[in-house]
Amino acid sequence: MSSSSAPESRSARAVDEGDVRRGGLVGKLITLGWATPGFAWLGLYLVAPLVFIVLVSFWTYEQGVRSGFTTDWTIQNYVDLFNDSTYWNNMLSSFLTSVIAVVACLVFGFPVAYFLALKVQSLKYQIALFILALAPFWTSFLTRSIAWTYPLMGREGALNQVLTKLGIVDEPVQALGFSTLSVRLAMVQLYILFMITPLFFVLAQVDRSALEAARDLGANSWKTFREVVIPQAMPGVVIGSIFIFVLTMGEYGTVRVIGGNTVSSVGTIVQSKVEIGIQYPQGAASAVLLVAALVAGVFVITRFSNLREDI
Amino acid sequence: MADESIEEHEEGAAIAAPSSLRAQAAGDGLDLVGLTKEFPGGTVAVEDVNLHVDHGEYVVLLGPSGCGKTTTLRMIGGHEYPSSGQITLDGQSLVELEPHERPTTTVFQHFALFPHRSVRENVEFGLKMHGVGKEERRRQATDALEMVGLETLGERKPSALSGGQQQRVALARVLVTKPKALLLDEPLGDLDRLLQLRMRVELRNLQRQLGLMFIHVTHNQEEALSMADRIVVMNDARVQQIADPLTIATKPETELVARFMGDNNVFKGQVSAREGDRISVSTAAGATVTTVAPGAPHAVGDPALVSVRAAATRLEDGPSGVTNSVDCEIVFVEFLGDLVKLHLTSGEERLLVKVPGDAYDTLRGREGEQIRVAWKEEDVQLLRS
Repeated sequence: MSSSSAPESRSARAVDEGDVRRGGLVGKLITLGWATPGFAWLGLYLVAPLVFIVLVSFWTYEQGVRSGFTTDWTIQNYVDLFNDSTYWNNMLSSFLTSVIAVVACLVFGFPVAYFLALKVQSLKYQIALFILALAPFWTSFLTRSIAWTYPLMGREGALNQVLTKLGIVDEPVQALGFSTLSVRLAMVQLYILFMITPLFFVLAQVDRSALEAARDLGANSWKTFREVVIPQAMPGVVIGSIFIFVLTMGEYGTVRVIGGNTVSSVGTIVQSKVEIGIQYPQGAASAVLLVAALVAGVFVITRFSNLREDI
Repeated sequence: MADESIEEHEEGAAIAAPSSLRAQAAGDGLDLVGLTKEFPGGTVAVEDVNLHVDHGEYVVLLGPSGCGKTTTLRMIGGHEYPSSGQITLDGQSLVELEPHERPTTTVFQHFALFPHRSVRENVEFGLKMHGVGKEERRRQATDALEMVGLETLGERKPSALSGGQQQRVALARVLVTKPKALLLDEPLGDLDRLLQLRMRVELRNLQRQLGLMFIHVTHNQEEALSMADRIVVMNDARVQQIADPLTIATKPETELVARFMGDNNVFKGQVSAREGDRISVSTAAGATVTTVAPGAPHAVGDPALVSVRAAATRLEDGPSGVTNSVDCEIVFVEFLGDLVKLHLTSGEERLLVKVPGDAYDTLRGREGEQIRVAWKEEDVQLLRS
């Protein structure tokens, strides 16, 4: 009977947290002490490079200088980009790829997470299967990507051979290898775990007896799913979507390996401009616009749901 | 204690049922016939349970954990599918119906409220699922929240309520759907002791006012005795005894019921004589216990089990060897205010005697002494083993 007072103490604690504030200078200093390494890390690896990139994007491209630019202020880099239809086409195509990846990862990842979290009864099997679902992470990204290109999706690859043998296609499908389609397929495979993982964790929190209660109160399976499961899954959907959107929108590695030289993205454009080195300021400007697009995207995703409320 | 007084304050007024939620036309009631549940792997959780429950009746399924009481309740609610047997409510078979198609609702042990919905939305949920319009939903939910005294907390999330308040929301949520039978799975298990005692009274009162069939699962003997019209004692997947609380408490039929209800002294022995319906049993400790048991199959020489309630015993002076008495050694004198529990041994047997609290004065410190315990023949029960 003593253990049965948990709900009371939980609500009592919620009240306490509102009242108790760790006050005093010492407390503030301790908080500051804990926060310092994190802020230093963020400053050094995130804020400083970003500031630098923004600065460079407003500096002038100059041939013959060792750095490739001088520190004369200009907005020419942005003007050039706005008039560069290739850049915008790539931006649009990357955006489309990201949206497709988010939607596909949600559609294919949700059943997996749902099954793991709510259908597998024993915790032991739940964890085991979840780790198994993470298996793709055990192999390196490059190994998987290379296996994708020629052996699996290439013109002479396994998939084409099967399709041809089965008579589904008359001749090997070119689009499977080194194409936008193959890049998008690969992205789903590569990033789906970023959807499954947060979904698994939020769905595992769903009280199974609440699902039974819903059934009891007159909801059929579909209504129970829509009214009870989905609302509680929303934080996971939002977090997974942000992960995948941000990761795929800026992608260039997968595009390079899977897409070969036939597919480009914002990422590959930025990378080529910077790598070749001569266009560093314009590369910086493209990167800044990419970051702006990502921030806008994340803003829109969080606007779709009231994340703070949901969590 | 400070917390408890706050709790008391928070819980608000007593539950009062509005007339709109009272039970409508009654039918034949609920029947379980040969109900059996075997889980994959061969565990038989419920075996051949037969039970009839009338509308307006408060029935408690009582037994130790794993006895099959919850599985029985879940089969009535549609959350488990019986391996065999029949469940009918007012002549309609429920077995093939999904939970949402059954005229039953359940109050779950840990309340099972929807954390993402406000208290009001929780209460409205069942009505929404049954296609009740928004205005009507709101009105009925308000009534139900008023009934449980939580009308001011409708916009809060369940996590912002105390356990007792959550319990009330769970009750309001199921009662708005006007079920024909309310199923309660350890409904008081999550509440602290004081609140449990209070909710026993309130729940029972509510049921009386509503005139609704309540089927309540618990492992708590006292809870069952205090609340039930009838108690179904279960053990090891089977029904041991179905009777009103007084009968369960005073006339246990099986050894298990006698032991599980507590405070019963069970004697093992052999039938030493039988005259008509009067049976004499010689216990291992050498005492002779007699009882009148019409229809008992026992013959002289058969093994027999008898029980005597601790509260039906008295302490006696006088000669040893008298029928329906036994000489004991006092192991421990336990003072409980209103009463004194004497823990005794007689040979291998352990005995328990309950006497009024004022006897403590004469019993204090007498551990190790001999004492004689006696009882009346009519307080002896012959048990089925």
